Amino acid sequence: MSIVTNLAEITGSLHIGFAALGSALAVGIIGMKASEAVGRNPGAATPILVQAILSSALAEGIVFFAIFLVK
Amino acid sequence: MPSLFSNRFASFLSGLLPVVGCVSLLLSGTASAVESTRPTAVHSMPVAEVLHSSTSTVAHEAAGHEAALTPNAPVLFHLGPLPVNNSMVLMWVVSAVIILVTRAATKDLKENPEGLQNFAEWVVESLRDFLENILGRALTAQTFWFFASAFIFILTANWFGLLPGVGTVGWGTPDASGALTHISEPLLRGANADLNLTLAMSVVFFVGWIYWALKANGIGGFLLHIFGPRGDAKGVLKLVLIVVFLCVGVLELVSIMFRPVSLSFRLYGNVFAGETMLETMSNLVKALAPIITIPFYFLELLVGFVQALVFTLLTAVFTLLICDHGDGHAEEKH
Repeated sequence: MSIVTNLAEITGSLHIGFAALGSALAVGIIGMKASEAVGRNPGAATPILVQAILSSALAEGIVFFAIFLVK
Repeated sequence: MPSLFSNRFASFLSGLLPVVGCVSLLLSGTASAVESTRPTAVHSMPVAEVLHSSTSTVAHEAAGHEAALTPNAPVLFHLGPLPVNNSMVLMWVVSAVIILVTRAATKDLKENPEGLQNFAEWVVESLRDFLENILGRALTAQTFWFFASAFIFILTANWFGLLPGVGTVGWGTPDASGALTHISEPLLRGANADLNLTLAMSVVFFVGWIYWALKANGIGGFLLHIFGPRGDAKGVLKLVLIVVFLCVGVLELVSIMFRPVSLSFRLYGNVFAGETMLETMSNLVKALAPIITIPFYFLELLVGFVQALVFTLLTAVFTLLICDHGDGHAEEKH
């Protein structure tokens, strides 16, 4: 019971917190994989950078949806 | 004297001026549409209200009882029916700087560029090479004016917003002891920290995107591109696939309609969050403020560049996705 009552006490912008958690994980994974890819094939650094920035922008966008569009 | 550079340069300049003009016109339109609904500095704008309730509480706690950066740019004065806010003032300054630098760089063109002309050519040529790698030669020639202008404008605006004096010089109300601790109406504010400007740029892109898409595909091809079935199935399977891809097309239409929203919120959110973070950090420990903010200034320099790149890249890829036929592109690369 105490867990339930403790959980019920949690207030604030939880949705933003979860969205930030998700996109932080996503951006981290993208960065990790991009570094791995550049390590394997340093010649392809520029195309990989483009892909990585594009996907991290898309992942990051989720936080802004959570901040601005969720009521 | 009429070298390759001067031709490119003239076309670039002629492209840059209308886009800046378009952006400022659209900005005025959206600004007056949004701002006219609110009487003074009260947040009656729904988006701003959501933002205010969710972010300013955090900033309040961190900065003690200091007032945080307002999500919508405060209006400084009115030009007739048009409310002018401080982000618009910075946008005009940035546009003027870009136009003046471009004019100074192209004033007397030399065969062997040096100084400002050299720098401007380096910027334009690097952007052209970068975009040609993504879009291909033909599409770049058609769309370079928008993407290059957007990149240069966003980058300049973001970095200009980091200069000392932006956001710290302006008007405010003194507290009880008579000391002015918070500037509530700064004279200048980061241009992209105003949703109206980022939305205006996204809408300009969206109109351009529709134009380029219709020009490349025609109306039938455009609809086929979105709703048409892909792959080479035959017979009954093909009929099923047509229905499936019709539904996929509806989904794609929704995602296309959402692009301007996500583009504008991404840029606005990043720049506004950066400004809020700098303000919070400088209020954290008053005595150490100049030292604490240094790493965050470098972070903001990086964010300003990356966000300009992201806006340009995303818009370029959206254009490529609709204009690419999958033919002629492969042979161009070899």
